[in-house]
Amino acid sequence: MIRRWLAVWICLACLARGSGGEPPLPVWNGADAAEIKAHKIIPGAELLNDDPIAQAPPSEPREPLAVAPPTPEELRESQIPPNVIPEKFLAEYFERRPDTYLIDPQHLLNRQQYQDRLEFLKYHAGDSSMDLFVYLFDGKQEIPGEVRAEELVERSFSNGRPAVVVYYFVGAPQRSMVYLSPSLTDAVSAPEQRRALESSVMEALNKSDPAEQLERFSVQMSIRIYWMERMLNGGAIPTEPVELSLDHETQKKPEDRMHGALLVAQRWAMPVGAGMGGLLVVWLVIVCWRVRAKYRFPVLDVAPRLGASHAAGVGAVISYGSPMVPPSLQRDQVPDYLRRV
Amino acid sequence: MKCPRCVQRIHRGASQCPHCGYSLAEADARFGGGDVHLRKLTDSAGVMRRVERQRVESAMERFERRFPQLFFAVHTGGKFHETAHLRQFGFWLLNRGAFEDVPVDRPNEAGILLVLDAEAKAAGLTFGYALDAYLDDEDTFECLSRAHAYWLEGRYADGVLRLMEQLERTLTRRSRQARRDPERFERIVGPPPQMGDLVRKIRAGHRKPEHEEQEVAK
Repeated sequence: MIRRWLAVWICLACLARGSGGEPPLPVWNGADAAEIKAHKIIPGAELLNDDPIAQAPPSEPREPLAVAPPTPEELRESQIPPNVIPEKFLAEYFERRPDTYLIDPQHLLNRQQYQDRLEFLKYHAGDSSMDLFVYLFDGKQEIPGEVRAEELVERSFSNGRPAVVVYYFVGAPQRSMVYLSPSLTDAVSAPEQRRALESSVMEALNKSDPAEQLERFSVQMSIRIYWMERMLNGGAIPTEPVELSLDHETQKKPEDRMHGALLVAQRWAMPVGAGMGGLLVVWLVIVCWRVRAKYRFPVLDVAPRLGASHAAGVGAVISYGSPMVPPSLQRDQVPDYLRRV
Repeated sequence: MKCPRCVQRIHRGASQCPHCGYSLAEADARFGGGDVHLRKLTDSAGVMRRVERQRVESAMERFERRFPQLFFAVHTGGKFHETAHLRQFGFWLLNRGAFEDVPVDRPNEAGILLVLDAEAKAAGLTFGYALDAYLDDEDTFECLSRAHAYWLEGRYADGVLRLMEQLERTLTRRSRQARRDPERFERIVGPPPQMGDLVRKIRAGHRKPEHEEQEVAK
């Protein structure tokens, strides 16, 4: 009982001590209570509104920033649709033979990406007898209708080393186009050009990043150029299986596949046929030799046995009376006197 | 080398079996003493049709072409009652048989005779002295085993052909081995070592080598 009274006393003491530290509660006067009941005062209405706080200092009026107005050129460019190459870049693209292997006047690649790709193309040029020129366009841009790519390539690349020219659309490698300089046009067939482009596009599409796509594209195109070189030197171009189809333009036609198969067949027919023929001849010789072979035995002096002048070589005797018993168990090795027993 | 009657091993040159005293004279007493004229393929039991006989005869000719010293003969009969008699009959027939269609340059020593007892359902192989070194009991059993399944079904000709295939395979192998190492086969049929040879061999083992003796003499 004493403990219970003691616990109540301690609780009350704690409450009394705690209430002593808190700020005093607001006190409502009678006029305010009447206005609240009459809905003339809404609690918190002074805080929940956009009116400036009465105690806040007044803010100074802001002056507009001094920004130069857009130039007429900028206004013109902003009006250019995204699929059109700006006119100021056309000269760098199409006017003359480029001085570099990677033509990107629009700076579609950043500096590092541009340097990396250019280094690779330089490396390719040092390693191959055919140069690879890559023109970069934006993925949505269209080549102007006045530009005839074949004529342009013929005009710009008729002199100098043979070249493979690629119009590459950043972010849309499937739109890429390939052209050969006049010295290569007759030597490399159109199907082979198409295959090179298809395989490069497929390699590019394995990546999602536009820069990586360009990297894959240029590497694969370089490989295909290597095979073109081999073909020009008398070799054959390997045909690659097409794993995915891009669109109707890049799908392989059956006659192309047939052409590739014929190339492989032409290359391997002779050695494979000769090998098979050789094996067949060897096999026939062995068979004939075995059929015609004669086997002789050295004649040995054998002392007659059991009074027999010709033979005493008694071999095995087996029974074949029961199909349930194997031959080894039907082998007869028992002398006749034991059998009689 | 086994006795046709007691199937015990007998030594080279034994005039009669040291275990049971069996010899050709006893076989003559049982089956007859005179020569028997017959062909390589004698189907006395009538277990083969004409076409089958032709197939077997063709195989025999092919065998003789392949092994110019040998011939293969088949005799089907019955009423031997006991397989031991079948073994003795093969032994007797290869010694007393005069095979009319076998060239004279192939004596019975070079013959291999298959005897089939269609009633007792047993078969045995016998071979002449010329093959003593090249065939043994296991080889002939292997050949008979190949034919076993066919004979169970009553396909005698097929069984004979299978047997001959296996026999040719074995003989081909032995011929090559004999060409490479003839001494191995000479030892099989050579005369048994005499006691004097054995003693000489033992003494030779105790004697010093000749070059050592010469050095001692010097």
